[in-house]
Amino acid sequence: MNGTALIHSIIDGILTGSVYALMATGLTLIFGVMNIINVAQGIFVILGAYLSYALSVHFGIDLFVGLAITIPTLFLVGIVVERVFLSRIKGPEKVVMSILVTYAISLVIEGILNMVFSVNYVELQAWYVDRSVRVFGYWLPYIYLLGFALAVVLLGALYFMLYRTRFGASVRASLADQTSAALVGINVKNVSTICFGIGIAVTAAGGMIYGATNAFNASSSYDLISRLLVIIVLGGMGSIGGALAAGVFMITVEDMVSVIWGPVWSSLTFFLILVIILSVRPQGIFGKLEARLA
Amino acid sequence: MSRFKHGWWLLALAIFIAYPLVETNPAYTTIGIFTLIFMACATSWNMFSGYSGYVNLGSAVFYGSGAYTMALFANHLHMAGNGDLFWLVPLGGVVASIIAIPVGLVALRVRRHTFVVITIAIFFVFQLSAINFSFTGGTSGMQLPFIPWFITNYNVPFYYVALGIVVFAALLSAVVRRSRFGLQLLAIRDDEDRAAGLGVRVFAVKLTGFALSAFAVGMGGALYAMFIGQIYPQFVFDPIFDISIALMAIFGGLGTFIGPLLGALVLESTQQLLTLKYSNGSLYLIIFGGVFLIVILFMPQGVVVAIRDAWARRAARRDGRVTVGATVNPGATS
Amino acid sequence: MNRRKELFRALGVTSVALATLFTLSTTSGASSSGTIAKGQPVLIGASLSLSGDFSADGTAFQQGYELWAADQNAKGGLLGHKIDLKIVSDASSATQVVTNYQDLISSDHVNLTFGPFSSLLTLPAAKAVSRYGYAMVEGAGGAPSVFQAGLTNVFDSALPVASGLVPFAQWIASLPKSQRPKTIAYVTSTDPFTEPQIPVAEKIIKAAGVKTVYYKTFPAEATDYTPIADAVASANAQVVILGSVDVPTVSAFMQAFEQAHYNPKAFIATAGPDQGAAFTKAVGLANADGMMVPNAWFGGSKNAQSEKMVAEYIKKYGGTAADVNADVAEAYSVGQVITAAVKATGGFDNTKIIKYLHSGVTIQSVLGPVKFNSLGENIKPTAFTFQWQGSNFVEVNPATDPGATKILYPKPAWKN
Repeated sequence: MNGTALIHSIIDGILTGSVYALMATGLTLIFGVMNIINVAQGIFVILGAYLSYALSVHFGIDLFVGLAITIPTLFLVGIVVERVFLSRIKGPEKVVMSILVTYAISLVIEGILNMVFSVNYVELQAWYVDRSVRVFGYWLPYIYLLGFALAVVLLGALYFMLYRTRFGASVRASLADQTSAALVGINVKNVSTICFGIGIAVTAAGGMIYGATNAFNASSSYDLISRLLVIIVLGGMGSIGGALAAGVFMITVEDMVSVIWGPVWSSLTFFLILVIILSVRPQGIFGKLEARLA
Repeated sequence: MSRFKHGWWLLALAIFIAYPLVETNPAYTTIGIFTLIFMACATSWNMFSGYSGYVNLGSAVFYGSGAYTMALFANHLHMAGNGDLFWLVPLGGVVASIIAIPVGLVALRVRRHTFVVITIAIFFVFQLSAINFSFTGGTSGMQLPFIPWFITNYNVPFYYVALGIVVFAALLSAVVRRSRFGLQLLAIRDDEDRAAGLGVRVFAVKLTGFALSAFAVGMGGALYAMFIGQIYPQFVFDPIFDISIALMAIFGGLGTFIGPLLGALVLESTQQLLTLKYSNGSLYLIIFGGVFLIVILFMPQGVVVAIRDAWARRAARRDGRVTVGATVNPGATS
Repeated sequence: MNRRKELFRALGVTSVALATLFTLSTTSGASSSGTIAKGQPVLIGASLSLSGDFSADGTAFQQGYELWAADQNAKGGLLGHKIDLKIVSDASSATQVVTNYQDLISSDHVNLTFGPFSSLLTLPAAKAVSRYGYAMVEGAGGAPSVFQAGLTNVFDSALPVASGLVPFAQWIASLPKSQRPKTIAYVTSTDPFTEPQIPVAEKIIKAAGVKTVYYKTFPAEATDYTPIADAVASANAQVVILGSVDVPTVSAFMQAFEQAHYNPKAFIATAGPDQGAAFTKAVGLANADGMMVPNAWFGGSKNAQSEKMVAEYIKKYGGTAADVNADVAEAYSVGQVITAAVKATGGFDNTKIIKYLHSGVTIQSVLGPVKFNSLGENIKPTAFTFQWQGSNFVEVNPATDPGATKILYPKPAWKN
């Protein structure tokens, strides 16, 4: 190990961590507003990646240009899934039921993706995927920088929507307390549907970057969802700022451990950190004490 | 009534005992063994998660621990490849229950939805440890002593040991369900804060239930290891296992006594047969996911309760009574 | 009342499920009498991963088995019996592979069994098959653990995994001091196929005074290799040995090295560059230049049997010699070993076949000579090193081999 490698791993971690933060934000937003743990988030990321793949291979559409198609598509998929399946889940066991429903949805999507794209690994290709640029003496892949920029832009847009628009006010009210939000005249049902759409739409962007930096197939979704769940729990479920911070923090730590002790220990550390932190702080690092129980 | 009821159970048991005597094709008794292992695991899982409402998606921690216990003890005690290895099966259960205590001490401190995630995280910690540490043989896994029985004699003892584990798990689940302890678990599911307010020592109850539920799963893992004769970390610490047994229990009926047994019987044997006869994994995923989606959305209490309710409604109509609230609380009657 | 009805119905479902099991099964019992009635085909069973993690290799194995069966049938089959292959899929699952072989032997009454793909599945399969007294000849289960199991019925016609990198290591050690690299990095996936190869190579290379500057394993499920590759690059070793199992891993490391502007003088990967067109398509032909891979076989092999097989492969599936996956030849050689054993023993008795294969006989195959030791390892095959040079995939090691081309060293710079 040397210092240069360590700093390089921190840079890598922050750049890729931001993309995980983006995907985790969607997941935590869905939980916060709807009390739904969307286990299908992982397969939606892969679906987004495959959509970008299909567009670039069959129609020659650039990965970033393709987002103009894939983001709205996944937004619509999210709306439909919410209306058809998730809005039916009610009752005291809602959180548990939501895990099952979304898991079943992800199985179906996984099966379809396997049949359409086969189980062979693919990776998204573009000129900026192969090249790198020298920044402060470190060679950084363009795709990392572009992914970081995209995550920052989208997170900024999300922030603007949440804090500067009327709709955002409704979302924040629903995040804080659904009953009171309904009492002041907010249509919590519609807010939920749109939030689910937004939560899924961000996976189109996350999936594209994921697909350009990882070889993937449909079963990559299991690894992804495990990581995303760990991130949002650590950030305090329902906390958007927490998901952001935890996403960048966890991926950076993982990359650092990879350099210091070796890559086999980094995944182990990733999950171990959650176990250790939760045994000290059951509400996560950034979470408030859970007032709303499952 | 009571005698009559036990009669049905004995008949079911008799069918299971007769199965390998009638069916002598090893491919099908093998499916029988895996199905029984899943029945035991799903029942045990339900005994904690179904009764308490804490959904554990890390049961493979117990299964894998049982499997590695079998392999480590067999190798370090230089045991020969014969029936003596069966003595290590209960040991697998003991080790799994012991491991459940520290795991529970960490995982059960959080509330339900976080519990789901932390069990997944702990599962990965175990799986990755088995891959990374050398005493587990790393990615090459571990060999068990080869048992040189001819195939016609090989499956049958495994089948009956697996059946024994199912009977054990079912009896344990039934005893817990009828005990004061079981009522406390149900009280936690209905309202944990209130249960605590009423004097239930919720943490101790949860931890005990968690450790008890690990026992049969650990035995199942140990039996699997002995049967296959070779373990790899990714096959015994398998995330699909975690989800499968939860789905089987929920498919049959979460929190009911008979639901997990039936769910595992139907789902595991169907899956094995479908793969054996049609070998299409992707199609199976779609069908399984679709059927499951229908079950949870339209029969959220599981197939057993749904059928029972439909039956009750029909009977009520026939008797000319008004059907009010035919839905039966699964915890109340089973 | 309610409860009784519930139980009654539960029992109904139970009996339906059990009845399904009964009816679907056919009569049982092994039939390994060793003789087949005249005019009846010889049935050979195998379980391959046609979906799941190993499906690419599984499909190549299927091609190899089928190619052999077609060739042998054209020559009149085995002892006058037409060969029927029954190949089922196991979705890369250990439980499924056991059930599959039991079903093949008990329900389909296959006369012989061929191995599955990958060392992970070979062991459970070989153990299940051995309980019937059947031999398992296989071409893809060369991990050391397979031979440590104490099984007497398993025969691997391919190169034992652990010795794969030996010729490369010996070549490094043989270089004159001025040319010999000073530093080397080892990075390997946690996999029973890759991990055992590295220590064997490291021992030879270390003895030659080459310093190990990086030696780490990465989890098989890791998918973003950039941070790992960055760490390897910053160690700045002159040689890199990568323990990989597939093309995406090698491709990702090559891409990350290129992005880090790091170009080792020699770069060998345990699997990936041997995948012909699948490899060059993924990394670009220009960047493939100089990449090396160990293997026991390649499409351009001068072995007469191999040339014949390659010609037939191209006729059937198209492509060029370089596109033929080594899996195809490994599978084909399994058939050849069985052919020799059946002919020598004059029948299909597995006990006699096992005895014959343990007798120290040497069998000629597309992989070259095959001779089994008591563990079932093939002790005859030569390990080769292959290298991409321009658009050609050539044999470069061992240098003593007459077919060897001069090694391209140092490796050319990345071009894109």
